[in-house]
Amino acid sequence: MKMEDMSLSGLDNSKLEAIAHEIYTELVEDACLGLCFEVHRAVKCGYFFLDDTDPDSMKDFEIVDQPGVDIFGQVYNQWKNKECVCPNCSRSIAASRFAPHLEKCLGMGRNSSRIANRRIASSNNLNKSESDQEDNDDINDNDWSYGSEKKAKKRKSDKNPNSPRRSKSLKHKNGEIGGNPDPFKYSNSAGINYETLGPEELRTLLTTQCGVISEHTKKMCTRSLRCPQHTDEQRRAVRVYLLGPSASLPEAEGGVENDSFEVAESQALMSRLQWDGSSDISPSDSASSKASTNNSESRKTKKKKPHLGLVSGTPGLGSSKKKKPKPPPPHPQHL
Amino acid sequence: MNKDAQMRATINQKLIETGERERLKELLRAKLIECGWKDQLKAHCKDVIKEKGLEHVTVDDLVAEITPKGRALVPDSVKKELLQRIRTFLAQHASL
Repeated sequence: MKMEDMSLSGLDNSKLEAIAHEIYTELVEDACLGLCFEVHRAVKCGYFFLDDTDPDSMKDFEIVDQPGVDIFGQVYNQWKNKECVCPNCSRSIAASRFAPHLEKCLGMGRNSSRIANRRIASSNNLNKSESDQEDNDDINDNDWSYGSEKKAKKRKSDKNPNSPRRSKSLKHKNGEIGGNPDPFKYSNSAGINYETLGPEELRTLLTTQCGVISEHTKKMCTRSLRCPQHTDEQRRAVRVYLLGPSASLPEAEGGVENDSFEVAESQALMSRLQWDGSSDISPSDSASSKASTNNSESRKTKKKKPHLGLVSGTPGLGSSKKKKPKPPPPHPQHL
Repeated sequence: MNKDAQMRATINQKLIETGERERLKELLRAKLIECGWKDQLKAHCKDVIKEKGLEHVTVDDLVAEITPKGRALVPDSVKKELLQRIRTFLAQHASL
C-alpha cells in the first residue's frame, strides 16, 4: 500500500492520460481478439457463412414501404370486401359477419330461426309426408348442435345390442345355423319393459311375440314367435314366469302353423310336466347366465341339439323342429 | 522506468481486483455492438476469409487483419466515454 501510494501520488496529468489510453487500447484489443476468436470458430465449425444470401433473393424479400400495402407488398385490407354465400338462405354475407349469420340461420343457440321456421312450417303444413320428411331431416342433421350429436350417439348405443353383427353371433351360439331367415330380425328389436304391462296386455303380447326377457336390458324380445335368437325353452320359461305355470307356448292354443301344431302341443304338455311351479327368470340369450336348474337344463339341451331329433321327450325338441319341419314329429311316442 | 512499470502493474492489479476491468470490458462490448462496430468488423472478416480461403484461415491472420481496423472503427463517443471512466478510476485510486 505504501508503495502504491507513493507511485500514484507522484504522477502528473500527462502520465495519467497515457496510462488511461493504454488501458483503453488494451480493452479494444481484447474486444477485437474476442471477435476474432468468435469468427474463427464460426469459420471452422462451418456456420459463418450460413446467413449469407445472394442479393437477388434478398431483392425478392425486401421490405416494401409504400402507402396502402403491407411490408410484403400486399394490399392489407383486401379480405374486408370478401363475401360468402350462405348455403342455407343463399344470401351473400360479408365474411366477417358470416359466422354469426350461419349460427342464426342454421339454428344454433337460443333464438334459432330455423327451429322456429320448422315449427311454423309443420303447424301450417297439413301434408303429412312433407312434415315427416322434415322431421327426418332434423333427426339426421346432427352437424350443428352438440345436443343432437349426443342424442345420436345415444341412439347408436341403444341400437348396438341388436346390431346385425351381434344378433348373428347370438344366432350362431344358439345353434340355429341354417334356420330359415327371419324377416323381422332387424326391424323390430326395440324391446318392451314387461313390468309396465298389465296381465291382459301381457297375454296378448305373448301370443304374438317371442317375449323372452333379456338378462342385460330386462326388456322383452319383440320379434316373432319363431325368432331365432331365443329357443323355445326360453320362450316357455318366460310364459311360465309371467302368466303362471298353466301357460304354454301360444302356438299350442292358436295353431299358428299346421306343421308344428302337434309338436307344440306335446311341448306344452312336457312343459307342464317338467316346469310347473318354477318361477325362474328365463335363461337369457347369453351363454354366461348363472347356474340355476333351468339354465343348466337349457344349456345342456343346447349342446346336445344335433342329436335331439332322435331323443324323445326332452324339452329341447322344440328348437330342433325348425331344422326339420317336414318329417312328422315323433309325438306318438310320448303322447 | 522500473518505477513506471511497477506503477502500471499496480494499476492493472487494482483494475482487476476491484472488478472495474470486467465492467469496462462489458460496457465496451455493449457499446460496440450497439453502434454496429461488430457488424462492420464481421463484414471485413468475411472479405479476409474469402481472400485467404476458408480452409487456410488462422486466428493469427484474423488478428493481424482485424485489430488495426477494429481500433480505427471505434466511434469517438465510445472512446471518450471509456476514457472518462478510466480517468475517474485512476483519480479515485490516485488519491488513496
